Amino acid sequence: MTWAAFTSEWTKLRRPTLFFSTFLGLALAASLFVILVFSQATTHGGIVTLHQLAQPNGLVIGVARAAMLLGVVAFGIAASQVASEYSLGTLRQLLVRQPRRAVLLAGKMLGVITFLVLALCFAAVVALIVAVVAAHSRGVSTSAWFTGTGLGDLFRELGDLALAVVGYSVLGMALGQFVRSAVFAVIIGFAWLIAVENIVVRIVPSTQSWLPGQSILAVASGGGEGVSYGHGLVLGAVYLIAAIAAATLVFLRSDITA
Amino acid sequence: MVIGQAEQRTGERSAAPLAVSTDGLSKRFGDRTVVDNVALAIPAGAVCGFVGPNGAGKTTTIRMLLGLVRPTSGSGTILGGRLSEPASYLNKVGALIESPAFYPQLSGRENLKVLARLGRLPLAAVDPVLERSGLLARAGDRYRSYSLGMKQRLGIAAAMLAGPELLILDEPTNGLDPAGIVEMRSLIRSFAGDGITVLVSSHLISEIEQICDHVVMIRAGRLVHQGPVDALRATQQAEYLIAPEHDADRDRLARLLQEAGCTVLPGEGAGVLLVQEGGLGAADVNRLATQYGITLRQLGERTRSLERAFFALTGSKSADVPDDQELGAIR
Ligand SMILES: Nc1ncnc2c1ncn2[C@@H]1O[C@H](COP(=O)(O)OP(=O)(O)OP(=O)(O)O)[C@@H](O)[C@H]1O
Ligand SMILES: [Mg+2]
Repeated sequence: MTWAAFTSEWTKLRRPTLFFSTFLGLALAASLFVILVFSQATTHGGIVTLHQLAQPNGLVIGVARAAMLLGVVAFGIAASQVASEYSLGTLRQLLVRQPRRAVLLAGKMLGVITFLVLALCFAAVVALIVAVVAAHSRGVSTSAWFTGTGLGDLFRELGDLALAVVGYSVLGMALGQFVRSAVFAVIIGFAWLIAVENIVVRIVPSTQSWLPGQSILAVASGGGEGVSYGHGLVLGAVYLIAAIAAATLVFLRSDITA
Repeated sequence: MVIGQAEQRTGERSAAPLAVSTDGLSKRFGDRTVVDNVALAIPAGAVCGFVGPNGAGKTTTIRMLLGLVRPTSGSGTILGGRLSEPASYLNKVGALIESPAFYPQLSGRENLKVLARLGRLPLAAVDPVLERSGLLARAGDRYRSYSLGMKQRLGIAAAMLAGPELLILDEPTNGLDPAGIVEMRSLIRSFAGDGITVLVSSHLISEIEQICDHVVMIRAGRLVHQGPVDALRATQQAEYLIAPEHDADRDRLARLLQEAGCTVLPGEGAGVLLVQEGGLGAADVNRLATQYGITLRQLGERTRSLERAFFALTGSKSADVPDDQELGAIR
């Protein structure tokens, strides 16, 4: 049943406007980021040095800084996929064909998450190709990247980013479920992730290890300043489970009058 | 049998099983009671009109039948399944709720595929319903590009997708032009021919009258009347529009009819009288006039409109119901 809801959701996600703008948009953003890193790198400085780029983990350096952008995209798309069912009024049709609301929500969540994780993988592949080309043009050796250590780092970082995408998507969908408006969900979500958490952390630094956005960022960057990877993973999981539980409960009890 | 119990509860004497029955169905939003203690009894196979003025609670009732809105109190049985477990009967139900709602960037066909996949229906069911609703030629176009009438047709197609036993249509003629309305009527009639029970809501009684054999009337959340359309119409006494050959006889004729127990009002046009009640047939009116040497140049029975029955039942006139049906006099 969840599979049916999942394939149904993918029928919507596959629409060319959303599909191409997400996949190509993320790939383009990742490629530009790689080009920026390589073009600014010098022997002494830049975002990273040319020497650092030639290391086994050269590929993933700086990627964590792009995690925020990825989060914004994932959060926005996830929130609007849920909220637009309310604003378009399509939810009432969906619920006649699948009255078990938890099943509908689970199928939707799985659909949106796979969509965004696939978009991430596609962007990673494109960025890798761009990185190899950029490395050649800057005379950076790529041999260390494709060693066991290098590939291990690459896949670990990709896995962490995928976890972060899952986190941002779930938060986005939960908020979309509460707010029922794509625009408001995105505004609230962005304001929270980009502004509120940062301000709170500036004022009370000790809160950093307890905020949802910070915990996801810590996972995305494989452990950041202030929040360890393990702590971020556990705390993030707690937040996500709470978000899913709350969204499901609200959905199960609400009257659909949209 | 569940259906048998439902029959007993609503006290229906007819042997026809009920497709929809509810008991004390109520819905409160905050402290406003929007649907109040409604006991529906809709026989299987009926084309049932669901009428009431704007804000009467039709859509809210329909949403409760579809499991979208949770009743504050009350219970019901739909196609043998319990109202509190929508999953037990919704696979046999198709619905168009208020205006059609689809994904603007998907084509009509893809929109139906979304629903077919979700309901685990064969994708092969999509094109036949598009064909039946006359949309097949434009099925590949984006929903965004559809005209209002096409959107409505897609809504009907979506409702037909599951091969329903019960079709619930909330104001299906909304926004349609006269030709579209006529087409929609014949489409709904054709569903009845297939043995599908249809519940169709409207605030236009004239519309319901033309397609339905059963009617449920609500007003301000309360059930006002339900039963076969013919029975309701029969409760309405005939009214006549008459005119004497010579206008000078008008007042004398009016007095004669009043003495015979009729209510007589001035009708439209010079010398025309509107004769109500009194229990006289057309022949009686004619005979009475002839008896006193008055020849009638006009004697027409006014259509026994459901509309008047509705006003009689609800006790007030609603601005939502136009008067265009009222003057169906036969000249
Ligand atoms: N979610 C809600 N919260 C509060 N009141 C509501 C809600 N939904 C409907 N109502 C109220 O319930 C009443 C009945 O509304 P409903 O939509 O069921 O009427 P209707 O008979 O379908 O009217 P119409 O012919 O205009 O479609 C209205 O007064 C409406 O304002
Ligand atoms: Mg309505």
